[in-house]
Parts: sequence; structure tokens; C-alpha cells
Amino acid sequence: MPGLRNTIRELRADRNMTQQELADAIGVTRQTVIAIELDKYSPSLETAFRIARVFGVPLERVFQYEGRKR
Amino acid sequence: MGSLSYQERSLWGSLAAELVVYLPYFFLNLHRANSVNKVAGTIFAIIVLQILLQSIIAAATRHRIKDERDKLIQLRGYRAGYLTLAGLMVLGLGMLWFHTLVGHNFPIHAGFVGLHFLNVFFGMLVISDIVKTVTQIVAYRRAL
Repeated sequence: MPGLRNTIRELRADRNMTQQELADAIGVTRQTVIAIELDKYSPSLETAFRIARVFGVPLERVFQYEGRKR
Repeated sequence: MGSLSYQERSLWGSLAAELVVYLPYFFLNLHRANSVNKVAGTIFAIIVLQILLQSIIAAATRHRIKDERDKLIQLRGYRAGYLTLAGLMVLGLGMLWFHTLVGHNFPIHAGFVGLHFLNVFFGMLVISDIVKTVTQIVAYRRAL
């Protein structure tokens, strides 16, 4: 598990945005959005910035680093 | 199948084609005399079946994008397939060396050894390809 936490689910819920809509906005599959939301996959820096831009918030509002999990 | 991405569906299609074509080839023909024509026929069958299945999957899938996670999973699959192929090659060469060491002579004059090695190397390629596909499917199922 990556040591990266995120608030994508909450940010999506605030904006009534579906996983598919977010996926289309950032150019990934819905399955990748699911994997990111579940903290199973750490996105590339570029994708992370795209997500923050879609929500109109700073990157650190979307992703928080909590150290390497074992 | 509704929750699967296009890449994952494509992998399941590949695995189905590989199992449908290769399993009968190796299990039904294992103790029969194989020929170059049979190997060629098997390769032709897998190509035709792959084209057919992948066309159906592509037609039935709306979102056909490939993203960074797909590429990462693809790389993992190829790494697993390469390591399997390299491991099997070393094992095969080791067994060949062992047979030579203990004095087993291959009946080269009978023309048998060529077909035997054709099947062994074909089998190695098939196993590596299946390992590659299964590794990718497992990565998708585990969310990475």
C-alpha cells in the first residue's frame, strides 16, 4: 500500500461528480480513479496535478503523504 | 464484465484464446508425433481467435483509453513473462547439459530431436505468454 492518502472521494461528493466524469476530465480509466481513491495506486505527478486542477484546489488538499506503509 | 476496463477485458480475451488453443495442443498431442504443420496451425489458430475476440471486445467497449496504470501493469506483465522465459531457458539448457553428462545420446539421425526441441521452445513461449497475461489480470484485480 502506498503511503499516500487522498480526499478525492470527498471532493467528488462535494461537487456531485461521478468517478467516470473525473476519469474523463483527467484522461484515465474509471478503474484507475477507483484504485487511486482506495489508496491502492499512487498516480503520476502529472495526473495528481490534473486532479487538483479539476477540483480547483491545491495539490496538498487532494493528496497527503503519510510515510511508507508496510 | 461491466466493471472491467477495456484493457482488462482484452486480457481475459487473450487468456481465453490462449487456453482454448494451447491446452488441447499440449495435452492431446503430447504423446503423439507432432509436426511443424501442427505448430504452424496452432499459431494460425491463436492469431485468428485473438483477432476475432479482440474485435468483439473492442466493439462492445465504449471507453477504450489506455492510461498510465495500464502501462505500468503491462510492464509488470512483460517483466514476469521475461523472467519466466529466461528461467525456463536456463532450466532447459541445464537439463540438456545433464542428459549429455550422464551419457544420454539424442537420436539426431532420426530427425526426432528437431521436433522435440521445437515443442519444448514453443511450450516455453506459451507458458511465458500465459504468465504475462495472468500477472496483468492479477494486477488489475488487486487494483494495481
